[in-house]
Amino acid sequence: MLDLLQNSLDGLMTGASYALLALGFTLVFGVLRRMNLSYGPAIMVGCYAATWLSLNVAVGLFVLALVTLAGAILAGAYVERLCFAPHRTGSAVAAMVASFALWMQFEEAVTLALPKHLYAFPALYTGPPIAIGSLTLRVEALVTLAVAIAICAGLWALLYRTRFGIAVRALIDNPTAAQLAGIGAGRVFVGVFAIASAIGGATGFLIAATNEQVTPMLGMWATLKGLLAMMLGGLGSLPGAVLGGLALGLVEAHAQWFFGPQLRDLIAYLLLFVLLALQPGWITRWTTTRSAS
Amino acid sequence: MDDYALGVLTNIALFSFIALSAYLLLIAGEMSFGQQALFGVGAYAAGMLTAMFDWPLPLALVAAMLAGAAAQWLIALPTLRLRGLVFAMATLAAAEMLRIGFELLQWQRTVEGEPVGPDGTQGFRGIRWVFESGVEPAMFLALIALLLAATVVLFVWVERSKLGATLRAVGADDELAASLGIDVLRVKLGVAAAAGALAALGGALYAHHNTYIEPRNFDIMLGVHSLAYALIGGLGTAFGPILGVLLDIGLLEGSRVFSGYRMIVFGGLVALLLIVRPRGLLDERVVHALRRRTLKSS
Amino acid sequence: MTSGRLLLEVRDVVTAYGKIEALKGVTLAVEQGSITCLLGPNGAGKTTLMYSAAGILKPRSGAIRLAGEEIAGRSPHEIVARGLALVPENRLVFPAMTVLDNLRAGAYQRNDRAGVDADIDRMFARFPRLKERVEQNAGTLSGGEQQMLAVARALMSRPKLLLMDEPSLGLAPLVVEEIFRIAGELNRDGTTILLVEQNAHLALKVAHHFYLIEQGRITFSGNPGSLAEDEVIRRAYLGAEQK
Repeated sequence: MLDLLQNSLDGLMTGASYALLALGFTLVFGVLRRMNLSYGPAIMVGCYAATWLSLNVAVGLFVLALVTLAGAILAGAYVERLCFAPHRTGSAVAAMVASFALWMQFEEAVTLALPKHLYAFPALYTGPPIAIGSLTLRVEALVTLAVAIAICAGLWALLYRTRFGIAVRALIDNPTAAQLAGIGAGRVFVGVFAIASAIGGATGFLIAATNEQVTPMLGMWATLKGLLAMMLGGLGSLPGAVLGGLALGLVEAHAQWFFGPQLRDLIAYLLLFVLLALQPGWITRWTTTRSAS
Repeated sequence: MDDYALGVLTNIALFSFIALSAYLLLIAGEMSFGQQALFGVGAYAAGMLTAMFDWPLPLALVAAMLAGAAAQWLIALPTLRLRGLVFAMATLAAAEMLRIGFELLQWQRTVEGEPVGPDGTQGFRGIRWVFESGVEPAMFLALIALLLAATVVLFVWVERSKLGATLRAVGADDELAASLGIDVLRVKLGVAAAAGALAALGGALYAHHNTYIEPRNFDIMLGVHSLAYALIGGLGTAFGPILGVLLDIGLLEGSRVFSGYRMIVFGGLVALLLIVRPRGLLDERVVHALRRRTLKSS
Repeated sequence: MTSGRLLLEVRDVVTAYGKIEALKGVTLAVEQGSITCLLGPNGAGKTTLMYSAAGILKPRSGAIRLAGEEIAGRSPHEIVARGLALVPENRLVFPAMTVLDNLRAGAYQRNDRAGVDADIDRMFARFPRLKERVEQNAGTLSGGEQQMLAVARALMSRPKLLLMDEPSLGLAPLVVEEIFRIAGELNRDGTTILLVEQNAHLALKVAHHFYLIEQGRITFSGNPGSLAEDEVIRRAYLGAEQK
């Protein structure tokens, strides 16, 4: 019973970062109706920028977080201009393939700048985990969870309390009606992309600082987890992205406990495959009315 | 021809198989993020048969193709009604499951006193049938090229036939195709089996060219690469995906000019190219215009 | 009644979908202060013209001028900024957003917060049924209520020219009468309206001027009464005799 609780707790904590990754993917997919395969790699660029800095200059965590954020946003802007702006009214597939092309660029750039397989990243917290009764809680995980909650609250406020938020929701709900209401899609897309990149940057920093390392596989890892969590929660739904991320964390934690790390990933993919094959309402609802044209 | 050039040409031929596999699915309207797994199925199946059970290569190739066809058919069955990104994600999930399967696969036999066989994440070394049979690299390349040529001829023949028109009809609008009396589900299953066999053939040859394979060779990067080759080369003809492979491996790798920067250059090239030609280089319109011009002049 | 000045001028507009020309050179004008009707059978090009004027479609050739300014080929939000609003066919509300948010979306380009709030109150006064449903998601509204919401949303941008594309489609007769009554009210209060309709009978009751469009071309223009009404209605529903 205790194991179950501990694993669930750990799962929810990991799930918080998955939820953030999924949120970034979903923002771009829900609004732009396009899949950004460079999302994880752009985050990795931010993390590597911070890593490079930490190796050469003694700076605090706060500065590193800012650098990660800035790197991710800049990389994201590059992707947006090259892959999404030119295909705004054109082919969704072309945008996606272009974003994959930039993924390759980012991966090579990062390994050229810092060639080793693994680099140390300053730790978010160096103290011991907190004990609550017989359960242990890592402080880093708590911080991530807190940041995730703050980001979700901020995003909610943006979407439901600002004019920009109305534009975003309108574009998600009915792009043609949104245009007729005078909402300029191009500018909103740039804003959404920037927000998604910022969320990605923050998430990347937390992941790197929690694991205390960065590797060139970070980009692909973040992409896979984000996609998996987004699909589990129902493609294109923002609350779904959060739930999908948390669910993925829980599934992984329990699967790993019972079956080990390799089967853990297998089970997560199997779950997704079965869900997609069965096509329950919450997935089909979002894909039939909101799929990319 | 020096060894390096030989290697480049062989790689072009090998990756053409998986690019054509992705292309076949694309013209039938399905975007697959999972062909890398079928490539891997072919690699492991053929590798195990020749290295562990002393099968001759031709038989192993056939068996690999059957395994690939079966595997992709099994993946297609539950995903027949899925479309677009949802279908792509399902293929990715299936491919990752297979790749983890390769990581878990540990099976070795003692052959001539040595353990031979896949060793999980450590990979599978010793797939040396080609070299032990005295086949020179140039001869092996000739064999691969021959198989590729045969495949392309088959594609060209299918494209001109009613089957080709049926495939493109399904790809363009499967509801419309169904209303015209086409058994869309059967077409999709058939295409899946063919694409699986094709990717597996490439993988089988790849395993024997490299003599060593590991699960990491068959990750999402390979799959999205093959998709990209088909999409930038253009979906108008089977030469499209091959053109895509040529651009990446041939031009950039082969020229050695951009060594170390190959992916940065290729990536930038692809993104810029897609802005100008979002449907690829040899898209349906270009191919149609080319065909008309050759008809006029003849 | 009407000022004689032309608010909207459409000249020789050709709009195509790929190789198919839906508009083959359309010319019409809307006088400021009028209700002008565009009548015609299905597939004649009415919605294509609406979308061309609103910027959703780009004409292949021809000119569209709003208050003298060229708008053909501009993006939809630029056209809204210049004072044109379209109430589209099939209403096109934001189903997952509340009635209130739908209205706010219509006012997206406006910076005067107080003015927007005042206008929202005005909309609720004009469309009391919307006020009852203010916090409901627009997708749960009835057809007639959605139509009113679509009109209200378009009005939130304070357009000089309101385009209405088949507002009677799929609605009960009583509801349709109400919509037309509201159109009349809006016009009396100063909004110029270009109304596209298949229901020629009702349209002719409110129109100052009308055009007949058939197979992508304007085939008649005049005032109600200039062509025998049953002839107009017949051609609006069925189109002219096939050649």
